[in-house]
Amino acid sequence: MSKRQLAMVMDLNKCIGCQTCTVACKTQWTNRNGREYMYWNNVETYPGTGYPKNWMELGGGFDAAGDLQPGIVPSIESDYGVPWDYNYEELAKGEEFKPNIEPTWGPNWDEDEGAGNFPNDNYFFYIPRICNHCTNPGCLSACPRDAIFKREEDGVVLVDLDRCQGYRYCIAGCPYKKIYFNPKISKSEKCILCFPRIEKGLPPACAQQCVGRIRFVGFLDDEEGQVYKLVHKYKVALPLRADYGTQPNVYYVPPTEAPPKFDENGKVIEGSNRIPIEELEKLFGKEVHQAIKTLKEEKEKRKKTGKSELMDILIAYRHQDMFRLDTGYYQEIAKQKNMKLSPVDHRYQAGKHTKKISHFKAVHS
Amino acid sequence: MKKIINTALSISLLVSSALLADTITAKKISGSLEKISPTSNVWKGVKGATVILYPQTTISFNDKKALELNKNAKAKKAEVKAVYNGKRIAFLIKWPDGTKTIQKGYESTSYADGFAVQFTNITDPAKLPYIGMGNEGREVVIHLQKAVEKFYEPNGNKNVAMQVNVHNTYNFGKDVKKFEENVDKLANRDYDKVFVSEGFRSMTEIKGEKLNSFADMKYTGKGWSGVVSREMKDDYLNLNGKKAVAVAFAVWDGEKLNRDGLKLLSSWQPVILEKGGEEFAKAVLEKVKGDIKNGEKIAKDNCSSCHNYKKEQNAIPYMAPNLSNIGGYSTAAYLRESILDPSAVVVPGYNRNAHKNFEWYTVDDKGNRISTMPPFSHLDKKAQDDLIAFLQTLKAEVEK
Repeated sequence: MSKRQLAMVMDLNKCIGCQTCTVACKTQWTNRNGREYMYWNNVETYPGTGYPKNWMELGGGFDAAGDLQPGIVPSIESDYGVPWDYNYEELAKGEEFKPNIEPTWGPNWDEDEGAGNFPNDNYFFYIPRICNHCTNPGCLSACPRDAIFKREEDGVVLVDLDRCQGYRYCIAGCPYKKIYFNPKISKSEKCILCFPRIEKGLPPACAQQCVGRIRFVGFLDDEEGQVYKLVHKYKVALPLRADYGTQPNVYYVPPTEAPPKFDENGKVIEGSNRIPIEELEKLFGKEVHQAIKTLKEEKEKRKKTGKSELMDILIAYRHQDMFRLDTGYYQEIAKQKNMKLSPVDHRYQAGKHTKKISHFKAVHS
Repeated sequence: MKKIINTALSISLLVSSALLADTITAKKISGSLEKISPTSNVWKGVKGATVILYPQTTISFNDKKALELNKNAKAKKAEVKAVYNGKRIAFLIKWPDGTKTIQKGYESTSYADGFAVQFTNITDPAKLPYIGMGNEGREVVIHLQKAVEKFYEPNGNKNVAMQVNVHNTYNFGKDVKKFEENVDKLANRDYDKVFVSEGFRSMTEIKGEKLNSFADMKYTGKGWSGVVSREMKDDYLNLNGKKAVAVAFAVWDGEKLNRDGLKLLSSWQPVILEKGGEEFAKAVLEKVKGDIKNGEKIAKDNCSSCHNYKKEQNAIPYMAPNLSNIGGYSTAAYLRESILDPSAVVVPGYNRNAHKNFEWYTVDDKGNRISTMPPFSHLDKKAQDDLIAFLQTLKAEVEK
């Protein structure tokens, strides 16, 4: 376990599925050099197939005894979808507008489809997903080269591209399928939680750009921080599929604000909720009941008294409160390590290749 | 008559098993080994030796599909030739593979055929490095060639972390094209890598320095032929002045999703360079004589509660190395050492986070790994021999 842990909270009641986070990440990190198909951040419709296709059924993670479970490496062609482009240049010459390959699958292929019958009880909501920077990462545990490491300073999980040999056991080991194979360089890559930004006190690009202001970022041990309050004080932010046993550090405020169902005559069924509670329980565990209760109570309290710290947090007034990052903390580390610039960890930078064998001693509690 | 046939059969089996234990004798030549290929004339007239490659089963992997495909993997028979000219040494390995599998395209599930040759400086047959890429204090050098379509490393200097997008440069118009052409020229390289390692988790690619070596592989329709040529002496290895050295081989089958430890590997093979190396060869290839039946009983009583092997599958899978092919890729000396002093060579095992309940070793204050296996030095010499003789029978059958 790392000394401190950065975490993100996403409020699913407020996600409108606009994909601004996806675009922020893509333009920053994954629009080139074999990463084109990767979505370190994606927003998927639930219920739906997700990205990659049916990722929840592909194994990985740990069983109750703590043993890493076998998993499946998804295929770019059938499970992620090969990115395509259009012949914009030819349009001026009177050519027909067409993609350069026949698209067969891609992220958000089933966007907004959801489940149920329109208009009576259909429903869906969005789940934005990034790497969970798990406390007990499946990818790290699966790597036979010790190429994946968790930073002591903030628990960010990174791939040491010098050590990585492209075996892809990490992909099988991650139950969220949030680590990807780069076919151009034959190595694995993943979300880096925008650590070069974090170290300068800036939130990850996906969080900064979020138009719904649904993302909170901070250290889990910062009791004054909103992340701490949502996760530990009010316990309304819950990890996704905690049953995989990886102890994820991205938390979700479950969607509570769905409209009611209609009966056969198109009339509102009072007290009904379109999102089946079993689905929420599958995603967020039994704790979801208490979280929903707390959210409803605080909402009511705010209505009556005008006061609720939880509601104030969820309204997300000011970025500076939502993102409690600490550049001073990183600068102090850099100073101790006698490094002038970000990043503060030695391993992510390509090493000066010495004659020495680099033994990576994993520190596990 | 039947009896005669049986006897004849067993004699012929004996003969063939004697052939299987063939020793590689490197032929000294005067010609250059700077540029050779699997089909070079230099290999003509060089006597080949048979080397059997066994499936690695000491640890298993977490890829569901690969596990199914390699469930009952068989051993393969390879032919190895070696030549040297005093400055360089080269190996040719031919192994059967019905399918030519190249890792290519924009795919995440494509894997490559490949081969590796492992070298060591150590010439004490009793203290050879652990076959799985060495162990602490006993370093190995590994040459790896994979059938991977030329792949992309933007600065051509093997530093993949230093990727620069053309849009992050000051290039416009024609200069963009020029930049990209230049990157293409610089960046596309062959998957020919050299590693230095002290145990499979510590494998570290040698780059930055000039290492004068190369590898190449060609498919012939029935299988692959691979060549490795390296200098006899460099910063990592010195084979000069040695009468015999030990090398080991491994091959991967991309069709079966082989990569990393999912492979076939040989035991250490002696390579005789000069007269007088025969003693070393004999020691490396030692077959221990003993009562196999009794050895099997000793193994069942002493080993099978932690180690799984063949039909003995009572131990919890992650508890200790699986011994199903231990006879295929271990020397007799290694088996003896492991029984008497398990901490002498500690297999790195699974990631310590993957199966936390089963520690194969603990680490003392000085950082030394102490095996969880107790020494079995109380076994008398006969019991040891019987046990080792039995362990040497643990190996997959050879593919026909």
